[in-house]
Amino acid sequence: MENVLEVKDLCKKYDNFELKNITFNLPKGMIMGFIGENGAGKTTTIKAILNIIKSYNGEIKIFGLDNRKNDNKIKEEIGVVLDDMFFPEILTPNDINNTMKGIYKNWDTKMFYDYLKEFSLLPNKQIKTFSKGMRKKLEIITALSHHPKLLILDEPTSGLDPVARAEVIQIFQSILEKDDCSILLSSHITTDLEHIADYITFINNGKVVLSKNTNELLDKYAIVKCTEKEFKNINKKDYVKYKKTKYEYEVLVENKKDFKAKYNISVIDKITLDDLMVLMIKGEE
Amino acid sequence: MIGFIKKDLAMIKSNFKLLGILIIVYTIMGLMGKMDISFILPFMCVMIMISSFSYDNYNKWDAYSISLPNGRKNSVKSKYITTILLTLIVSIITTLLSFAISYVNNKTINYEQILVTMLGVIFGTLLVLTFMYPIIYKFGVEKARIGIFLLVFGIVIIGSLLANYIDLSNVLKFLSFLEDYLIIILIMVAIIMVYVSYKISEKIFIKKEF
Repeated sequence: MENVLEVKDLCKKYDNFELKNITFNLPKGMIMGFIGENGAGKTTTIKAILNIIKSYNGEIKIFGLDNRKNDNKIKEEIGVVLDDMFFPEILTPNDINNTMKGIYKNWDTKMFYDYLKEFSLLPNKQIKTFSKGMRKKLEIITALSHHPKLLILDEPTSGLDPVARAEVIQIFQSILEKDDCSILLSSHITTDLEHIADYITFINNGKVVLSKNTNELLDKYAIVKCTEKEFKNINKKDYVKYKKTKYEYEVLVENKKDFKAKYNISVIDKITLDDLMVLMIKGEE
Repeated sequence: MIGFIKKDLAMIKSNFKLLGILIIVYTIMGLMGKMDISFILPFMCVMIMISSFSYDNYNKWDAYSISLPNGRKNSVKSKYITTILLTLIVSIITTLLSFAISYVNNKTINYEQILVTMLGVIFGTLLVLTFMYPIIYKFGVEKARIGIFLLVFGIVIIGSLLANYIDLSNVLKFLSFLEDYLIIILIMVAIIMVYVSYKISEKIFIKKEF
């Protein structure tokens, strides 16, 4: 399968933080959820992909092209939403339209205004009068209105209430139905991703912990709940991490089927991305 | 690049009212034969544009602008072009008004004096841009404000020290020799210094990480 985004051995060192050999691929037409706790390195990785930070080691290819050598060509084809709000508050959606019309070759004014109408954003109101959810929606529809082939979205749902989050997620789903677009979506709100992400890349402390197909991941991984006695019988090789709670042990296993066949433990729960993240980060080996 | 200029203009459009009011005040004061405040108007353009840097910084626009096609180069280019365009437009309006005021008051217009004064003002305005913009790109707006204060302070100190050691009559003789070429020299120097300033700012912003 053709990859729209390939990140290979990405390394970047700061005084108090380091990205270590970040490697993952986003296949064409897919949504990848990029998960990890705050400060895990998601935004730094995205900034490297976008050349907002330049002094890194490793290779990043977008649409098969080196991102540093083909910066302008690539950026015509990608839509971006960054973690922080980034439109000057004194501008209006009309100003954003005029600005982007002069920046993107493929800017679609009709599409932009259709989206504004759909999400009840008034074109002549200053952005500072918008709520956080409305601002995020404006940023998202701006990222969409030049028909990008790749969307790079850093925490687009963070800080939004559940209704606004659901609306935003719905926008992404509708784009995928309409356009041949791929999405890299970073979030620490993993429930948003379980339903829409085809792939999950999980990053912790500057390292990729796993990068897998979502269904495969949720099917294969599981949480085994057992007593201390049962836990002591489990071979270390057969689990990834474990956590001791007040009454039981929660054990993260990578291969549910094999585990079931080998051990006679009845409580094997389906895993959520939240569980996976918490156990991977906080669990003991 | 047009998009970046439109964005900068949209950001400062709320200041256009202020500029309009200043132009009206200038006209009234001129007609009443009171103080000439024409020099303030082009200078205001740079000050207004510097406020656009504050907006960019406050709203974290710079990092986003890099994610746009040709964002690093065009961000810088648009700041320079918008400032120069605005300065020139306001200067032309002020010059035309000066002609009109002069005509109403004296019935004769001293074209040369008005033009030379305005060229001097434009030159001074571009001088501020030349020094301020690279400092803003390197250190941010707040530090740049302190920078410009130190710069002006430094020029005054150095100027007054030099005045003690240099025979001013020689300087005046030299300047009168240049007078015939003054306009062309000012324009050439302005173009060169703004271009050098632009290239320095561009280099700083291209390397910048957010």
